[in-house]
Amino acid sequence: MIPVSAAKACSILTRMPLPTAITSPAPTRRSLLLRGARLGLPIFLGYMPVGAAFGLAATAAGFTVAQATACSALVLAGAGQFIGLAALTASGNLAAALVATGVVNLRYLLFSATMAPHLKGVPRWQQVALAFTLTDETFAVNIADAREGRADRFSMMGVGAVAWIGWTLGTAIGATAGSALGDPSRWGVDFAMPAMFVALLVGQATGRREVIAGALAAATALALSTVMPGQWPVVVAAIAAATVMTAVPA
Amino acid sequence: MNPTLAWGLVIGMAVTNLVIRLVPIAALSRLELPPVVHRWLSYVPVSVMAAIVATQVLRPGGHWMLQPDNPYLLASVPTAVVFRFTRSFLGATAAGILSFLALRYLLGVA
Repeated sequence: MIPVSAAKACSILTRMPLPTAITSPAPTRRSLLLRGARLGLPIFLGYMPVGAAFGLAATAAGFTVAQATACSALVLAGAGQFIGLAALTASGNLAAALVATGVVNLRYLLFSATMAPHLKGVPRWQQVALAFTLTDETFAVNIADAREGRADRFSMMGVGAVAWIGWTLGTAIGATAGSALGDPSRWGVDFAMPAMFVALLVGQATGRREVIAGALAAATALALSTVMPGQWPVVVAAIAAATVMTAVPA
Repeated sequence: MNPTLAWGLVIGMAVTNLVIRLVPIAALSRLELPPVVHRWLSYVPVSVMAAIVATQVLRPGGHWMLQPDNPYLLASVPTAVVFRFTRSFLGATAAGILSFLALRYLLGVA
């Protein structure tokens, strides 16, 4: 990399125009989106097979390929979609299915509230786009990036877009190809999401108090996971650990 | 399935999920939150991630796997090490998947 002053001197000597890459160091929208897309690639890897499983389940329940794919494209909620679909096929009652998906996804209230201070002054339509792509995984990636002071609304949109493409594309493939795909777990994709969360946890465990909060939450979640369904142990454990750490002075 | 019911589920779930995800962002991003709330929120990410990792690694698929040959637990070690030294999520995820596949093969477990 040539320092700007040296490049300027060179350009005076040779009367050549300066390359724009050197004179504009501020990241562009495009470079931020691309950076987010790169951050979101592990999510893409993890979402494709689960999306395919949803496509398979939805067509097995009587959805057309278009309905299954539209469902993932418009809802973008992993467990929430499976629960909603199961509740609808079991009861035939739309209201019951919507309550089920809403209850499973109540945890997004917590994630959304945690993101809020990082989205001050962001235009409303961009808040809608970011809220739409808020999942366990995009939340974890974006909040980790935000706390390092690197996240930007466009990088967050890049993360969200890549996650959305993985989930929707996976569903379309699963709904179309069906059981011809075989079992994706033989490619080790079962570990894609755990691996990403391990990396995120290492990045977040920055100080003694963060490590204590994590240990408290992990123990609480494990204890609760034997008595609570789905992601509820995670939510209750996080609320409990954050409350204890806030109450106990540093 | 009856198309009205199927599309009703698609549209209904889309609206339900967007409302749940948007309301806190839309409401709280305009307020100046008191420092104690900021402090509380600052502990949420690490707590969420630790809780998710603990349950995904020690209870994969919703069943306890506390034995030492748990490939989820063992593959977490190279994943964490790769991330610690490269700071790359993609690199750590790839290393995790590869070590998970190798461990599952070597240990002969599911």
